[in-house]
Amino acid sequence: MRAKSWTKAVLAACLLALVCSPAWAQKIKIAVAAPLTGPAASYGENIKSGVETKVEEINAAGGINGVPVEVAYFDELCEPREAAVVAPRIVGDKDIVGVVGHVCSSAHLAALPTYVRMGMPVISPTATNVTISQQNKDNQGRVWSFRNVYLDDYQGYFLANYVKDVLGLERIAVFYENNDYGIGLKNAFVAEAKNVGLAIVGEEGYVKGATDFAPQLTRLRGGNPDGLFISGYYNEGALIAAQAGNLGMNVVKFGADGLDNVDYINLGGDAANNTYMTVPFLAEAAPEQAQDFIKKFEEKYQRDLDWMSANAYDAAGKFAAAVAAVGTDRTAIRDYLAGINSPENAYIGITGATYFSEIGDPEKGAFVKMVKDGAFSAAPKQMQ
Amino acid sequence: MLEQQLINGLTLGLIYALIAVGYTMVYGVIQLINFAHGEIYMLGAFFCVTFITAAGMPFYVAILMAIICCMLCGILLDIIAYRPLRKAPRLAALITAIGMSIFLQNVALIIWGSRSRPFPQGALPPFFREKALVMGDISLTWLQLFIFAVAIIMMLGLYLTINKTRIGTAMRALAQNKTAASLMGINVNYVISFTFALGSAMGAVAGILVSVYYNTLYPTMGYTAGVKAFAAAVLGGIGSVPGAMVGGVVLGVAEALGAGYVSSLYRDGVAYAVMIAVIIFRPSGILGRSVVDKA
Repeated sequence: MRAKSWTKAVLAACLLALVCSPAWAQKIKIAVAAPLTGPAASYGENIKSGVETKVEEINAAGGINGVPVEVAYFDELCEPREAAVVAPRIVGDKDIVGVVGHVCSSAHLAALPTYVRMGMPVISPTATNVTISQQNKDNQGRVWSFRNVYLDDYQGYFLANYVKDVLGLERIAVFYENNDYGIGLKNAFVAEAKNVGLAIVGEEGYVKGATDFAPQLTRLRGGNPDGLFISGYYNEGALIAAQAGNLGMNVVKFGADGLDNVDYINLGGDAANNTYMTVPFLAEAAPEQAQDFIKKFEEKYQRDLDWMSANAYDAAGKFAAAVAAVGTDRTAIRDYLAGINSPENAYIGITGATYFSEIGDPEKGAFVKMVKDGAFSAAPKQMQ
Repeated sequence: MLEQQLINGLTLGLIYALIAVGYTMVYGVIQLINFAHGEIYMLGAFFCVTFITAAGMPFYVAILMAIICCMLCGILLDIIAYRPLRKAPRLAALITAIGMSIFLQNVALIIWGSRSRPFPQGALPPFFREKALVMGDISLTWLQLFIFAVAIIMMLGLYLTINKTRIGTAMRALAQNKTAASLMGINVNYVISFTFALGSAMGAVAGILVSVYYNTLYPTMGYTAGVKAFAAAVLGGIGSVPGAMVGGVVLGVAEALGAGYVSSLYRDGVAYAVMIAVIIFRPSGILGRSVVDKA
């Protein structure tokens, strides 16, 4: 009897040693939380190709301190419901050092509480909603969710100034998607429009997935606008542009990063022409260090580099830099990211120098691109 | 603005009506709400686009081929999923219908992918996008006129088929009493197959018109359209073909006016509120006959 319990204790000790295997054996995984299927799948595609390219580069150079990096993909369809389901799964995987994602602001907001509570560093390359940085701190005041993209209030502010000063518009009709992204962007635009003296001649909303916009557009048309602000995403945006054309509204269309997808042109047809949109990154205006990547990307994926891929590439790069410097401990990685807080210790990536404010938001400018003759091009006049 | 909103609503409503007749005919004949009907509508659009892009067919030929394929799908749907359950409780068939809807939607997702795709514009007659009428506030494209014309012709044809042909008479007989109809020498399964084919043809046309009108099609498009059309069928009186037509137009116009005058975010809410109001005061729908439930 005595001998038996003695062997048991040895066995238990062995088991314990196995479970708590030392740090050097650990894998390094970066999670990508994005819509990989569903209507927003092309966003996920962009994030995937950005992260994939970065990780391949790292592994080709021998990994981080000799350990190869893996990417774990989590599909959340850009839906808050799904995002809240994948977040605990990501946190539960002990090998994951950080999350690149989420893509959509509403999905990011839904997953955020889990990351903050369980201590998982996150960098969103695309979520632009303002309220994210009000909810990203744990009870010790530590920021867990960073982003390397500008905010909606900045896009809205920038757009109001751009359409007034550069495009010379005066009467704006606002058509927004009824979700965190669309409303936040619209509110910022409307507030700044009042400051710069733009007249808002109508505000209408729509729900995601709608296909018929004629009633709302008819109402907006009544205000006699010379510009139509589409505060939403490309799928609905393209239909809005086309249906506005059918109703005889030949006005300048403009929007933010959500419109920036080649499907906007495919679905919108001729009506997509004469649309302006703000983007966080424009290959034509990219810094020196990006040129090599742009060439490689275009060769590999046979398409133009989009801003989402560029931001995702940099987000993955920040995690790689953090792991190389402080190892795989999540809290240490968070502290490292929080330390990127001034122009002097900024992260220099292909989208320029990025550093985070106290609340995890970056200081980054916007660029403007437009649809001309059925293709994207840089707008003739930028504004910085 | 009112005139334009009426035109917007009418375009939408006629399309709802085309789908709604498919629900109502099947319900009239076998008392089944065929929830997979929305998927037939989606398949119509995808077949048409596939015939144009992959087989290079001209637009009108592709429409015809898509209609034929959808009719076959409708008949197959009945034979595979519903015929074995003809004697089973109605609930079993209803659940099967929901299952078939999910199944077909996912098959389409696998075959065609999840992204919205545009309707190949090159295949369309060029006059579609031109304005037929610009008068003051009203703007009407040839495409909208085409939708009006096709929808009205299809529904007239359907009306004549049901009321003036032998097979139409058989359908009405079946709707009244299945046992008596079969005693009179009517081939029940043949008539049911014909009903499914007819409804599917209407659904396919609606799917094609919608994908041309909005220049977009995606595998989940059948769901919302199906729910709306079902609501239209109930509004008009389920089982009544003229009722489904009226119900579709009423729902479409209510939606457009709701979005135009009440609140753009509650357009669906307004449409359903109209439906609920009608059902409260006329439980059998606008043109439905109140019948004593046999069960």
